[in-house]
Amino acid sequence: MRGRWLGTLALLIGTAAGAADLTLNITDQRGKPVGDAVVTVLPHDEVGKAAAPPRPAAGSKTINQVSLTFVPYIEIFRPGDRVVFQNSDETRHHVYSFSPVKAFEFMLGPGESSQPLELEKQGVVAVGCNIHDSMVTYLYVSDAPWVLVSSADGKAAIRGLPAGNYTVRVWQPRLRPGKPDLAQSAVLVSGAERKSLTFALNLLPDSRRQFDREQTQY
Amino acid sequence: MRFRFRLASFLVAALVTVQVLTAVLVYSVTRHELIDEGKRQLGVAATAFDRQLDDISARVAASVQVLSLDFALRSAIAQRDQATVQSALRNHGQRVGAERMQLIATNGRIEADTLVTPAAAAMFAYPDLLDRAFEKPAAVVVAWQDKAYWVVAVPVFAPDLVGVIAAMIPMDDRLLIRLQDQSVLPKTIELVGSVPDKGQAWKVLANGSDHVSLTENLTAAGGQLPTEARLVVVDGREYLAQAVWLNRSRTSPDVAAVLAYSVDEALQPYRSVGMAWAGLLSFGLVAGVLGAFLIARQVSRPVEQLAASARRIEAGDYGEPPTLASGDEIGALASAFTSMTRAIREREAHILFQAGHDQVTGLANRVAAETAIHRERAMHPQQPAALLMIGLRRVPEIVKTMGHAVSDRLMHDAGERLQRVIGEGQLARATDTEFSVFLPGQGKAEAIASAFRMIDALSVPYQEADLTLDIAPAVGIALAPEHGSEANVLLRRAGVALIASLDSEEAIVVYDPATDPHRPERLSLMSELREALDRSELELHYQPKLNLANGLIDGAEGLVRWHHARLGNVPPDSFIALAEETGNIRRLTRWAIATGIAQAQRWNGGARSIRVSINVSARDLDDADLPRRIAELLTIHRVAPQHILLEVTESAVMDKPDAAIQILRRLAEQGIDLAIDDFGVGQSSFAYLRQLPICELKIDKIFIQRIADAPADRTIVRSIVELAHHLGYRVTAEGVDNRETLDYLISIGCDHAQGYLIAKALQHDAFERMLAGGDWAGMHRRVGT
Repeated sequence: MRGRWLGTLALLIGTAAGAADLTLNITDQRGKPVGDAVVTVLPHDEVGKAAAPPRPAAGSKTINQVSLTFVPYIEIFRPGDRVVFQNSDETRHHVYSFSPVKAFEFMLGPGESSQPLELEKQGVVAVGCNIHDSMVTYLYVSDAPWVLVSSADGKAAIRGLPAGNYTVRVWQPRLRPGKPDLAQSAVLVSGAERKSLTFALNLLPDSRRQFDREQTQY
Repeated sequence: MRFRFRLASFLVAALVTVQVLTAVLVYSVTRHELIDEGKRQLGVAATAFDRQLDDISARVAASVQVLSLDFALRSAIAQRDQATVQSALRNHGQRVGAERMQLIATNGRIEADTLVTPAAAAMFAYPDLLDRAFEKPAAVVVAWQDKAYWVVAVPVFAPDLVGVIAAMIPMDDRLLIRLQDQSVLPKTIELVGSVPDKGQAWKVLANGSDHVSLTENLTAAGGQLPTEARLVVVDGREYLAQAVWLNRSRTSPDVAAVLAYSVDEALQPYRSVGMAWAGLLSFGLVAGVLGAFLIARQVSRPVEQLAASARRIEAGDYGEPPTLASGDEIGALASAFTSMTRAIREREAHILFQAGHDQVTGLANRVAAETAIHRERAMHPQQPAALLMIGLRRVPEIVKTMGHAVSDRLMHDAGERLQRVIGEGQLARATDTEFSVFLPGQGKAEAIASAFRMIDALSVPYQEADLTLDIAPAVGIALAPEHGSEANVLLRRAGVALIASLDSEEAIVVYDPATDPHRPERLSLMSELREALDRSELELHYQPKLNLANGLIDGAEGLVRWHHARLGNVPPDSFIALAEETGNIRRLTRWAIATGIAQAQRWNGGARSIRVSINVSARDLDDADLPRRIAELLTIHRVAPQHILLEVTESAVMDKPDAAIQILRRLAEQGIDLAIDDFGVGQSSFAYLRQLPICELKIDKIFIQRIADAPADRTIVRSIVELAHHLGYRVTAEGVDNRETLDYLISIGCDHAQGYLIAKALQHDAFERMLAGGDWAGMHRRVGT
């Protein structure tokens, strides 16, 4: 897991047991809204843990390769989920991952699908195509009770969050490497609060769009 | 020469100045332009250098990037397969010429290093490069271990950033030289790295092809590396230097490249121009000097010639000056000069002619005649020659009567006539009224013959209009070498002869030195006379006066005799007349009177009685003091007045009759007897004679000496004696030479006789002896019986 900043915000415990709404605003270092940011909310105390929504059963998600692009860019998994790679393009794709969470490598011909791959560990798996350098997708495996992905406008909302002490973590694929995960701990949510949190992320340029790595644009 | 030199030096100086100034100007402008150009080029070179480095970086980055895309390497990196990674890096490093390849993790730790085994937690030395490399390949230039390196960092994606590969390529001399060969980089490049902790000190990391210690000089004394082109002198040579700071890492010392152009090299091509210029200047100088000399010569040579001509003219040489053919101002000057010379020559000839010739007659003048005579005598000193002076008696009167115009024309006519008969002689107009004719080679006879010819030529009267004028010539002849050898002497003596001719009625007179009263010795004689008076060289000699009645000597005429030490006896004729002319006669007379009176005192005491006669001149009769002085002398010597007699000539009295009469009267009043000397030959005026208080007449010897021969003279003498006796005067006859004369005188009753028959003038002792001897008594007795 990578992240950069660690922040602490005291949350007043509400009076009544109600569900709070936690809205997150995620922007980059220039203030622009950041999509594809994964937000995990981890309760600190037992109350929170107890109030966590039940975990669904292990399922399987498909990562499609369309128009030389992995779709979706980010997928959230729980440990035990399985992932299937489907090649909907007309070229081959040499899908690989060197991530210690899950390392795999296989060639998919056009229209082929891979075998389901079980994701046991938590972490982020960066998957790329050896043939097409701009193709990348991230499998975010986490068993946190609440895991969301921010939308293109940089917002992520959690409803019905019971009051309690939480750690809110934000991760984005383009975070500058070598820095810890961006997290805010000790977020106290009171009863029927509409809480808003802002995260400013220091992001690298989008590697998919910025340049063609095969060209030496020095 | 000076003018030439001045012109040449001026030309040379002007030429040199202009050339030098031009050269200096051109040099400075060229240099300035060169340096400006150099600066511009340096700026361009600096930019080019930067770009070249960028190009090399890009090539290296491209190559490393290829490596970074290799799946196997990415796999090895992601799976931490160190060995594979290391070998792959080493292999590739050789390909790109990197000395060191490193793999750096995203947290900055060195995962692999081909040169140095990384320590456990060694961090990449240039983290800021790393940050930049996360996005795209980045490169910086660093200084590490005294060398300069490119560090190219390329990110490795698998598929997201898993690390950065850093390649360190050395930037050494070889690289710089290669760069210099490939492009238009300056010959002198230095890569320098700053020395940390030493301020502005820089260490040289690499050199280009030229090893010049630029940085040392640039940063000497605390100077900074020039960001803009700057002039610096290294080892005596000038360079334009500029520093380019290379892309660097914050954690590395600064690296800069110092580029420099050699100004001297840039000026090199101009050196040959300069040499050519100098050669041209020298040539121009030489040509200029030569040209100046030649031109100046054209001016100064003619000027010098003219100056030389002027000097010649000054010296009297009127020869033709050299003709100068040039048509310019010098030529004009030269021709003016020539005309001037001619004019001067003519004028001088004219003046010379005028100086040597008489304007009226056109004949030579006295000066020219003298010159001609002198020349002839010098050439033939032994040959005889005659000089005739022809004087025209009438001319002075003609001038007074008719004026100069007529006399001039007469003289002109006379000159022409003489010219016709002169033959080989040289005719000249000696004075207003005299011609001189020099006849070389003629002796006395021939001279006289020539003189007659000339007189004949002039005998015809001069006629003009209604005038007829007699010329009446007289000729005086002086002969050379008897009468002198020098021109002026001959002229003078001829003149004296002419005067003698004019005085007498003789047409021709030859100079006779005996009768020449104008001898120069006479002039000195006067001062000698004075000395003789002072020194008593003069003596009074006494000529006895015989009393014809009683046959006794009862008187003596005192006559001055001068025995000159050198000349012997100087005849009284010589000095008495001259003494009269010069006024010395008074002293002479005074002395004579004193001496005579003294003598009279001696002879008049006792039985004897001799009356001493002293001659008195006309000048003495001017002296009002004379009677008093004589009275004093008589008193001093205790002589009675009747013992002396004063003799004056007729002409002396006639000179100033009234004054003379006064003096004579006073003398007579003192009791002194007076006699008229040389009676009969002067201006006899009986009117005055009657007024004179005289007692005696002395008949001039000219009558007495002719008594023997001429009856006419006898008659005259007899008449004079009778006349004198009737007037109450005594008579003395002078110049009695012979017995018959004496007898005749006795017969006619003359009172006294004086002459050589009796005795000549004797010294006083001889006189006394004669008195004692009584010689004359025999004569008397003879007459008496």
